[in-house]
Amino acid sequence: MAEHLIDATKVGSRGHMAGKPRTELAKFGHRLLVGLPLFMLAVWTFIPFLVTLSVSIKTKIETFANLGLVPQQPTLHAYKEVFTDPNFLNAFVNSVVVGFGTALLTIVIGLPAAYAFARFKFRGRHLLLLFTLLPRLVPSIGILVPIYRLAVATNMLDKRITLIIVYAGTLVPLAVWLMVGFFQQIPREIEEAADVDGANLWDRLRFIVMPLAAPALITIAVLAFREAWNEFTLVLVLTTNPTTRTLPFALFKMGQSEGISNFPAEAAFAVITVLPFILVYTRLERYVVSGLTAGSSK
Amino acid sequence: MTATQEQKKRPEQSKARERNGAQIGQGRATPYLFSFPAIFAVSAVLAFPVLYGIWQSLYRAPELGLPEEFVGGLNYSDMFGDPDFWSALYRTGFFVGGCLVVGTALGLLFSFALYRSIGRLRWMRAATLAPYLISNVAAAVMFRLLFNSDLGLINSVLGTVGIDGPAWLSSTTWAMTVVIFTQVWTDIPLTILLLLGGLMTIDTSYLDAALVDGASAWQRARYLTIPLLAPQLVISTVWLSYSTLTGLGVVLALTGGGPIGSTTTLAMEMYNVAFRALKFNEALAIATFILILNAVLTLGYVRVARRYEIEA
Repeated sequence: MAEHLIDATKVGSRGHMAGKPRTELAKFGHRLLVGLPLFMLAVWTFIPFLVTLSVSIKTKIETFANLGLVPQQPTLHAYKEVFTDPNFLNAFVNSVVVGFGTALLTIVIGLPAAYAFARFKFRGRHLLLLFTLLPRLVPSIGILVPIYRLAVATNMLDKRITLIIVYAGTLVPLAVWLMVGFFQQIPREIEEAADVDGANLWDRLRFIVMPLAAPALITIAVLAFREAWNEFTLVLVLTTNPTTRTLPFALFKMGQSEGISNFPAEAAFAVITVLPFILVYTRLERYVVSGLTAGSSK
Repeated sequence: MTATQEQKKRPEQSKARERNGAQIGQGRATPYLFSFPAIFAVSAVLAFPVLYGIWQSLYRAPELGLPEEFVGGLNYSDMFGDPDFWSALYRTGFFVGGCLVVGTALGLLFSFALYRSIGRLRWMRAATLAPYLISNVAAAVMFRLLFNSDLGLINSVLGTVGIDGPAWLSSTTWAMTVVIFTQVWTDIPLTILLLLGGLMTIDTSYLDAALVDGASAWQRARYLTIPLLAPQLVISTVWLSYSTLTGLGVVLALTGGGPIGSTTTLAMEMYNVAFRALKFNEALAIATFILILNAVLTLGYVRVARRYEIEA
C-alpha cells in the first residue's frame, strides 16, 4: 500500500500507468493508448466522407486507374453532371420544400400542445400527454404498410404535403417532449407579470414564451429538417414518380440504374446531399446535441 | 380530481378566463384546443396506423385485387411455416447481435478516447456526430465505394499487406459484414454521445482512489468505469437493438437484401413481401412480429439489467 502511494504521487498525471517507473517506453505506450483510439475514431468517421469526396472529383477512368485518395486530375465534371440532371433539381427542390414544411408544421402543431401541457392544469392532461409521447416508440417499420395503404385510399400518394404531414406527425412527440421541459423552466412569474400588465395569451406566447424558448425551437426545427431531408423508407413508398421524390430516393434510384455505375456522379450527388445539412449543423451544433440526447435517452 | 384541487385552481383560472376568454377559446377549453392538433397528428400518423396494421394482419385477400376477408391467425401460421421467415429471423439475429457487439465495443473505445481528450479536441467530438446527420442512402453510397472490389479503399489497403480482399458486396458470406459496419457507422454517434455523457457524470474521486491504490488503467476501466457506466450501456443497448431490428434504410439502400437474399433481415423480408410480392396483409404479420420481438427484447435487456441492480 505504502509503495503504491509513493508511486502514485510520483506519477502525477492521471492516466499514466500507475505503479510503473516513467520510462520513455511507458510514456510512448501511454501516448499510444490514448492516441490510437482517437486516430481510429478519426479514420472511422472521416474516411467514408473523404473517399466519396475524392471519387466525386475524379474522372470516370481515374476512379479505376488511381485508387488513391488524391486525384491526379481533379475535375468538377461530375458536379456539373449532377447539377444539370433534372432528377436532381426536382429532388432538391422537393427536399427543401418538405424540409422547411416539416420543420414549420412540427413547431406549429407541437408548440401550443407543449405550452398547454406545461402551463395549464386541466382534466386528463397526464393521460393526454402520455398519449402524445408514447407513439414515439413506434418504429417506422410498423407504419410503412398501413401509411401506404391509407395514402392510397385517400388519394394522397405523390404529394409533398403528404410527406410533410407524415414527417411532422412522427416528430411531434419529440417536439412536445423537448418543449414541455423547456417551458417548465420559464418562470411562471414572468408571464404573470405580463398578464397583470394586460398582455393576453397570444401576446405572452409571442413576446415572452417563444423568444425564451428559441433554443428549443431551433433544436426542433433542425431535427425536423434533418428527418425530412434524410428519411428514405417512407418517401420510397409514398412517392412513385420523380416529380415528388426527395434527395435520398433520387440518390437511391441513381444507384439502381442499369449498366456500369457512374461512380463520380453518384459520389458527387451524395456529397451535395450531405453538405448543406453538415454546414447548417456546424452552426447549430450545441442545440442539436442536447436535442439528440434528449430524444435518445427517453 | 378532488374538490380541494378544484377549488385551488379556480381563482387562477377564472382570472385567466376574464382576461383571455375573448381572444382565445373559452378559458377551460383552451388547453384542449391547444393540445388537440398534436394529439390528432400523432394519432393519425403513428398510433392509428400501427394499430390498424396489427388489425389488418388478421385479414387477407384470397387473390390480389379481391376484397379482404377475416382469416384470424392464418397469416401468422403461414409465416411460421415459411422457411424464408426463419432464415430472415436467423439473419436478423446475426445482424442485430453483430451491430450490438461492434457498436458497443467501438462506442466504448471511442467515448473513452474522447473523454481523455476533453478540452483539446472539442471539434472532434462535434464531428463525431456527422454520420448521424446524413441519410442512410448517402451512407450506403459511401460504403459501396469504400468496399467496392475494383476501386475500393479497403481492398487496396488489404492489397498492400498482401491480402486479396473479397468482392465484399457480391459475396454471400461477406455482404452482411458490410451491412453491419454501415449500420453501426450511422448509429454509433448516438451511442458515443450517450456513453460520453455517462463518463462525464462519473465522480473522478473513485478513479483517483483506485489510482492511489495502484490499479492499472485496464483494471480501472474494467472494475470501475464500465460498472459505473452500466445505466448508459443499458440505454445504448436498448436503442441500438431497436434501431437495428426495425431498421430498413441501410439494408435496402446498400444491398436490397442480396446477394441471393444473404442480407435479407426481417425488416427487409417485410418490405419484399409487401412491395415486391404485394401481399400486404402477410407483410403486416411480419411487421407485427417485429414490433413484438422488439418489445420482448427491450423488456429482456431491462430485466437483465435489474438482475444486476442497474437502474437505467
